[in-house]
Amino acid sequence: MIGFQCCSPRIRGFLFSTLAGLVLVGCKGKDDADAFSNDEFPRDTLVIAYQSDADTLLSVVSQSASDSAIISNLNYPLTDSQFDCRLESLPALAKSWEWSEDGRVISMELRDDIQWSDGVQVTARDIAFTMELVEDPKVASPRISYIQQMVPGKRPLVIDDTHLEWHFTHAYDPVTQMSHISALAIAPEHILRTADRATLRGNVFNREPVVNGLWKLGDWSRGERIVLEPNDRWTGPADQAPKLRRIIFRILPEYATRLMALERGEVDLLEAVQIADADRLRRTHPDIVQHRRGWRFLDYIAWNPLDPEDYKAVNRGVTTGSKVDLAGIKRNRLFGDARVRVALAKAIDVDKLINDLLTSRDTGERYGRPAVGTITPALCDVHNDDIPRLPYDPAAAKRDLAQLGWEDHDGDGILDQDGQPFRFTLMTNSGNPRRAKASVIIQAGLKEIGVDCRIEQIESNTFFERLRKKDFEAALSGWSAGLFVDPKNIWHSGPEYEFNFVSYSNPEVDLLIEEGLREPDPEKAVEMWRRLQALIYQDQPYAFLYWMDEIVAVHKRFQDVDIDILSPINNLHKWWVPADEVKYKR
Amino acid sequence: MIVYVTRKLLLTIPLLWGVITLIFILVQLSPGDATDRFFTPETPPEVRAMVMEKWGLDQPVGVQYIRMLTNLLSGEFGYSIPQERPVFEIIGEKLPNTIQLSLVTLFFLMGTGVLLGLSQAVRQYSWWDNIVSVVSLFFYSMPTFWLALVLILLFAVKMEALPIAGMTDPVMHAMMTPTEQLWDRLVHMILPGAALGIAGAAGIARYTRASMLEVVQKDYVRTARAKGAAERVVITRHALRNALLPIITLFGLNLPFLFSGSVLVEYIFGWPGMGRVIVDAIFQQDTPLIIACFFVYTLLVVGGNLIADLLYLLVDPRIRLR
Repeated sequence: MIGFQCCSPRIRGFLFSTLAGLVLVGCKGKDDADAFSNDEFPRDTLVIAYQSDADTLLSVVSQSASDSAIISNLNYPLTDSQFDCRLESLPALAKSWEWSEDGRVISMELRDDIQWSDGVQVTARDIAFTMELVEDPKVASPRISYIQQMVPGKRPLVIDDTHLEWHFTHAYDPVTQMSHISALAIAPEHILRTADRATLRGNVFNREPVVNGLWKLGDWSRGERIVLEPNDRWTGPADQAPKLRRIIFRILPEYATRLMALERGEVDLLEAVQIADADRLRRTHPDIVQHRRGWRFLDYIAWNPLDPEDYKAVNRGVTTGSKVDLAGIKRNRLFGDARVRVALAKAIDVDKLINDLLTSRDTGERYGRPAVGTITPALCDVHNDDIPRLPYDPAAAKRDLAQLGWEDHDGDGILDQDGQPFRFTLMTNSGNPRRAKASVIIQAGLKEIGVDCRIEQIESNTFFERLRKKDFEAALSGWSAGLFVDPKNIWHSGPEYEFNFVSYSNPEVDLLIEEGLREPDPEKAVEMWRRLQALIYQDQPYAFLYWMDEIVAVHKRFQDVDIDILSPINNLHKWWVPADEVKYKR
Repeated sequence: MIVYVTRKLLLTIPLLWGVITLIFILVQLSPGDATDRFFTPETPPEVRAMVMEKWGLDQPVGVQYIRMLTNLLSGEFGYSIPQERPVFEIIGEKLPNTIQLSLVTLFFLMGTGVLLGLSQAVRQYSWWDNIVSVVSLFFYSMPTFWLALVLILLFAVKMEALPIAGMTDPVMHAMMTPTEQLWDRLVHMILPGAALGIAGAAGIARYTRASMLEVVQKDYVRTARAKGAAERVVITRHALRNALLPIITLFGLNLPFLFSGSVLVEYIFGWPGMGRVIVDAIFQQDTPLIIACFFVYTLLVVGGNLIADLLYLLVDPRIRLR
């Protein structure tokens, strides 16, 4: 037998020092992390699992949900929001406001005790500067639409440090008006006035932001974690001061890893927990509490009424936003007829989809509900519950199609007309197991009535691009619903609305959208939106499938957790942990 | 040797050009571009035009290509479009993390692979040889994605012996002493390193075994035994040194696999390295960043191969570079 030794002591020493050298790269010394150890409150750390890192900490150029999550905690909002069937604005930086009689001017009074973290007072001029950035084409702010209904030069009009006026070109829904002016986090004019506006996304401000909110940026290791700590220069209401020591947004792109990190206790909060995992967590981890967010996400099938090939040929070279003549484009031989779309809707068993995909096996709790439109049921008054759902009735669907000339003439089990089979491709995005399963269930349902549906899963970017270019026959896709009503992007027939993937065109709907958005009386607007939903449902441009409720899992040691439809991490400053349950004492 | 190295480096130029051209074409063929994320349906056409002009995306593809090559020749790799930061600033943040993981993994897979292969060869057809062969084949065939998740489930969730993901403890690392920080980094590296390196180690073990079995049949090994040298000396001094020569080639060849494998491993383990940068850049169609990433990867791979060639030269005096 031969004994082996790895290597000589000298080589072993070399190897260890090499490895140690490699891993020491980036090691920092002990920092001043006990800054809050003498606080009177028991403090703990909240670790939130996030799928992706933030890109920027500047609201005017922010784009992703991760950006918003961080920014909303670093900045004190102009107005706070709460949601109970409708969005409601609450005082924050703006301590009061009032509308003019004609509904076109909002006068605001700001608090005078809010400071930036460098000690400079937050004033109305910072707000005007923020809107100036939004307006500047060089910035290319995704929020540029916010100012389109404001009077130039008065976006807002600064009266003095604590008073300003917002002038609108016309009166419209007050909730939407308020959300247009309060959705942005304010940018510090004294810091960013001289910044190059064309490269704001990469500005050094992102690494060392000057904030005015309850939290400040502690550390940002890109791709790894973002640490927020209580803003020790917070000068606003003392009762709003955070009760946690820090919040860590831990970037873990893979869902399975995030879930296992939650189970192991390495993270405390996980969004979008899948239902089967929620069932298992309920059984195995009583220390994890599950919250429901509310009906925010919709799945639907978009039927393309136009012939994709003809559309492509006619529009070759036409740029986005240009006028496209849809009238000259050949109709899709299947979905160009609303009666076919209605018949297909009757062959899709939405209740089965909800039972199979969105219902807890353990508790029978349903996380899905049938959809009749793109307005979320969370908007209780606006959502039209009175629309009678098309029943699941495959026999009726088959009958309807037969009346339209679709029958199985050649006995191959597939309906046909003029020798052409009823065959189409249902496109969906890859990487979404729920939609993959849903498409198979839908395919089986359609097969029962003699419709040959072929499924195509494609990469998400390509999927979205093909939707925008109307390069599909049918697509299983989804929307995240807005909490104020603005259906124009999806349903208005104007050429600039590129999210109207199905080229939906109904003059009455166009008119309702235009008038509804300009209607200052909320009750009248509600009636218009309800009518709009009924009209669209009648036409079935989509097969509306289900609304989904998201599950958010949080460790039970956190108290006063208030998870709502606005955000799972709203009001983090209220969260606290009892002294005997604090996990991270430093 | 200088001539050899210079010639190798010169050969890198057409290789880099080929890689960059191919990547550019692939990015152009993919739908949309990086500026899509700046726009909403309400974005005015003049704003769209301004942004497209700023990034040169309003130019014909040929012009964009020539401009990109000209910029690269002058060392100008440009800015990431979504982040508006110099691409080398982004790469500079992440590359050390990937190199750290890859090199530690390389040591692991070379060390483990050689030891296992050697132990098999000296006990050919024993139960140990058979078991290691089967286990090696098993791990060699395992998809990295699956293996990584199983390792996490087993060692991090069930046994609670190792951390699940990340480079360091997200909460406590900043409060640790330097020694604790070093240990923290090491333990965080074990699972991703294992996921990245196990298949490679299994491969090295197979090669080492085969190479050793071939070498021990050689005359000089028989001569050494005939001269009365101890078996240990015969194996380590005479057989192993010669058997390791082809393994050195594998050292260089493993580098590309480590870098490409790190894309998946970094994604699963939340390791903030180049793999994640590439994936994000591809999803965001961030052409300048994609090009720069592949440029750096190509250089690393060429560098790895060059090091392997030079090592070959050092350990085998019979070889002369021409």
